[in-house]
Amino acid sequence: MHQPIVFRSNKFVLLLFSICLLLAYGERLWAHAVVTESSLTQNPIQANHATTVVLFFNSNVELPLSRVFLVSKGDIYHPVQIEKGKKQGEMRIQVPALAPGEYALKYKVFAADGHFTENVIRFHVSEPR
Amino acid sequence: MYMQGLANFIDDFLGGLILISYALVVGSMLWSAFILRIWSSGFAAHESIVCRAVGLLRAGAVALAITQGLKLIIKAVVLASVLGEFPADAYMGTLQFQAGLIRFLLSLGLILVASQLLRTPHKPFSWNLAAILSIPLVIAGAWLVHGVGRFENREQLMTMTVLHQFAAAVWFGGVAQLLSLWHMSRQSQEAKALWPIAITRFALLGVSSVVVLLLTGLPLAWTYVGNWDGLFGTGYGSLVVTKVILLMVALSFAYLNHRAGRLWLRQRQTEGLDRKVPHYIEAETFILVGVLFIAATLSSQPPSVDIKELSATVSEVAEMFTPRMPRLTSPTHEQLLAGEPGRVAVVDKIPSPAATEWSDYNHNVSGVFLTLMGLIAMFSYIRRFEWARYWPLGFVGLSIFLFFRSDAETWPLGPIGFWESTFGNGEVFQHRIATLLAFALGVMEMRARTNRHADQLRYLFPILCAFGGVLLLTHAHAEFELKSEYLIQSTHTAMGLLAVIMASGRWLELRLAETDGSYGGYLDGKIAGFVSILAMFLIGNILLFYREPLF
Repeated sequence: MHQPIVFRSNKFVLLLFSICLLLAYGERLWAHAVVTESSLTQNPIQANHATTVVLFFNSNVELPLSRVFLVSKGDIYHPVQIEKGKKQGEMRIQVPALAPGEYALKYKVFAADGHFTENVIRFHVSEPR
Repeated sequence: MYMQGLANFIDDFLGGLILISYALVVGSMLWSAFILRIWSSGFAAHESIVCRAVGLLRAGAVALAITQGLKLIIKAVVLASVLGEFPADAYMGTLQFQAGLIRFLLSLGLILVASQLLRTPHKPFSWNLAAILSIPLVIAGAWLVHGVGRFENREQLMTMTVLHQFAAAVWFGGVAQLLSLWHMSRQSQEAKALWPIAITRFALLGVSSVVVLLLTGLPLAWTYVGNWDGLFGTGYGSLVVTKVILLMVALSFAYLNHRAGRLWLRQRQTEGLDRKVPHYIEAETFILVGVLFIAATLSSQPPSVDIKELSATVSEVAEMFTPRMPRLTSPTHEQLLAGEPGRVAVVDKIPSPAATEWSDYNHNVSGVFLTLMGLIAMFSYIRRFEWARYWPLGFVGLSIFLFFRSDAETWPLGPIGFWESTFGNGEVFQHRIATLLAFALGVMEMRARTNRHADQLRYLFPILCAFGGVLLLTHAHAEFELKSEYLIQSTHTAMGLLAVIMASGRWLELRLAETDGSYGGYLDGKIAGFVSILAMFLIGNILLFYREPLF
């Protein structure tokens, strides 16, 4: 089944009915740990070269409880390796060699204060010059 | 995904319940110390009153153990669901798990001690033990807050937040104890005698907790919010503003209670204390519950200072609330469906104008219903417009509208069948239930307003409004597009705030206006009721002019 077209005023409906508390709540995500700096803005990924993408978070992140995926065209997910950087809040992501095109990094990180965050960083890989 | 969404939501909601439970424990301890004065040499509170207070303390400890324990489990479920596996060692190695577990164990200890105190309420050893267990319970909170993940001033922020939580707990727990004492005073002479004394004694405790709240809250807000744009242009900031507004409303009720207490001290007048104050305290409780849930939600928001470049400007926020022509025409199903694959894609995402217009139409038409209902409800306060009492019928109309518009892909307008869509997707299921309940609530509230004997039904509406308001406030979150999400959230946060005001206003109306009118309560109640209707009218206005940013 396709993702339903959401009546985005469902929050208004919630206003009226407590029972919704116990029922489904869609794909609810937190966003407490946010990326404050990304190497992608300074150093775009070169086509056909493996790259280490560096992200800085605003909060300490529990690495063993975090995952990052490379998303390619057609929303196909590939898990990628992550490791802790030397600086506070730094995460290093090993991105394999990529053909030119549109991609995204989808991260699911567990912040030190116990909140999960899922988010997406979209990026473009250009044709080699 | 459905289970993950549910587990996430429960986890978030548990944060608010944990704060309430924690406040009951901590507030009850302080109540026992400063109002019942159990550690004083001339300790004279009647045994039954102490037992009542201990009962609430134990209830708080039970609730804390359950909610904290559930939180640990739900967090594990979320982890397993999000990661596709459960790294138990890594999870149990987190500070979150360890601090949560310590709190859970301390709550169990407090349950045992409170049970002992119920049998022997004057035993100093048990009280000392309860105090000893409460101290690490408070301190453990330091590892469960925003500050623990910060890089700068970590220890100061953790300490400040724990003190802030402690002060809020003293206030809320004390208010809960006051309510409990008032209920007891209807049957017990001892409690009746203590009631005015407790009100006056609590004033000092309440004022102290407000001072600590301010002294800790201001530097916390300064650190996490940073500037005006952060205050009005982010989810974190808007929740801080909402929290402050609700605190001011709660403080107004506290002031009324304090004034009645002073009147009793000077002139021994008990009318206000016996008849109005209990209901003000009930309304204050509604507000404080909202405040505690906001506090819990704040911890799941990125602080404004961390998302400066993603903040909305004040003018962008104001634009969301600006009156304009409501959208009263909707895109077709075909147009809507055509844009969906691009809208939900991660790579090559294409915003769908049709989806935005569809949503605007739904909001705006809902706003028409609410605004009209609010207007008609205002007329119901004028005697010659008796027919206006039937305004809750508008909910029935709204439910029919929601039934057709909530999920465009499903029956009756879409290709997916009723049963398949209802039980195959959590969000559709939620909409179906909500639609059914909108219908039921309209019928019930109409009966409550037109039938004098429908006593039980009357309280359903304010309770559900408060619950709904809390849900709107706790639902405040940011997803992939922080700024766009925030602009939407700003309207829903405002509606959540109004819903809590609507609930407490209607509650006060029922409690004050429909009882003996000889002490001025009738007029106060009607004013509160009108404020409640005004809040509903404003919610209708927000929906009426709602415009969703394209994202």
